[in-house]
Amino acid sequence: MTDERDPKVSRRYRELGAEEPPTGLDAGILAASRRAAETRLAPLVPPTGRRRWYFPVAAAAIITLAVAVTVHVEQQQPDAESITPPPPSAPESRTDALEAKKEDAPQASRQKSPAKPQSADTARNMEQPEPQARSGPDAQVKGLAMLRAERGAVEEAPERILERIAELRRQGKQDEADNALAEFRRRFPNYRIPEEMLKKVERRR
Amino acid sequence: MEAPDEQLMLAYRDGNAAAFETLYLRHRGRLFRFVLRSVKSRATAEELFQEIWMRVIEARERYAPQARFTTWLYTIAHHRMVDHWRRGGLSLVELDEQHDPPGDALDPARQIEAREAVARFAQALQALPAAQREAFLLHEEAGLSIAEIAAATGSNAEAAKSRLRYAVAKLKAAVEDD
Repeated sequence: MTDERDPKVSRRYRELGAEEPPTGLDAGILAASRRAAETRLAPLVPPTGRRRWYFPVAAAAIITLAVAVTVHVEQQQPDAESITPPPPSAPESRTDALEAKKEDAPQASRQKSPAKPQSADTARNMEQPEPQARSGPDAQVKGLAMLRAERGAVEEAPERILERIAELRRQGKQDEADNALAEFRRRFPNYRIPEEMLKKVERRR
Repeated sequence: MEAPDEQLMLAYRDGNAAAFETLYLRHRGRLFRFVLRSVKSRATAEELFQEIWMRVIEARERYAPQARFTTWLYTIAHHRMVDHWRRGGLSLVELDEQHDPPGDALDPARQIEAREAVARFAQALQALPAAQREAFLLHEEAGLSIAEIAAATGSNAEAAKSRLRYAVAKLKAAVEDD
């Protein structure tokens, strides 16, 4: 620091005295400084009363909402039994639907703006349940039929099948009865048909 | 080892009232004398002194130690003094060229009690143009360097140095007349 002081001037300046502010003024300024510091500290005080519950209540509400939405979505998932076959006019599968859509595309591009086919696709996808969109409605129906047939085959006793064949004989449906009997013998090759029943199910010559 | 002014002011900014008290006690005398010798009335000096410290308190949240605390404090003081002079129809620029005649600036009772030489020196100080007197007081009383005087008064170093040299030269002449 460049000192521009002159020793004589500095000494004479010190001789002017060392006046100080009055103590009352000191007290007033210091009191004001303390009040300001307290005001500054106020926001750092932990929240009390109702405000301290804000965070826990908000967290609990979010968790409850998330659980409720998850349960609701799971309940809305269609199970295999509740799927109904589509109307006959519906495309046979997702692939068919896409192909049909491609065929329509030129017309759509002539009539609509480029953005609209996308929204139409979206709407179409929204109309179909998600499981159908993945495997195709026809395949699912066939699968269900097979499942039910298998269940029926397992559940129906051989005696019951034989009674049905005998009923066909009584009704004069000889060809159907022959086919059913042949099928029965393929499925139950080791089953020994009682003599009494054998007379009823075999074609009489 | 005493805490630096800047550290104390930062502590006060963060809510430490005791830090401000230390800072205040460290600077109160010098600042009061700076104000007292810049104006002609003790009552006015006390009023200005209080207002300067109130501005320091109000500005605490904006305080950033980019310069010495002393420079920041006397910058606030300078602005308050300029407001005071403007309110009285005076300005630093006008007073810079004006040579007030030595007169009844000091309390007559103190003039009687004071030694003749000291009285002449005081009169010479009061006779200085306000800008020169301010530069002298900032250097002699507050301990500011030329650069710091320039920063506090919003001028450049050359102007601050020039004012200070003129002030010292006139006061030296008053002392040598004794």
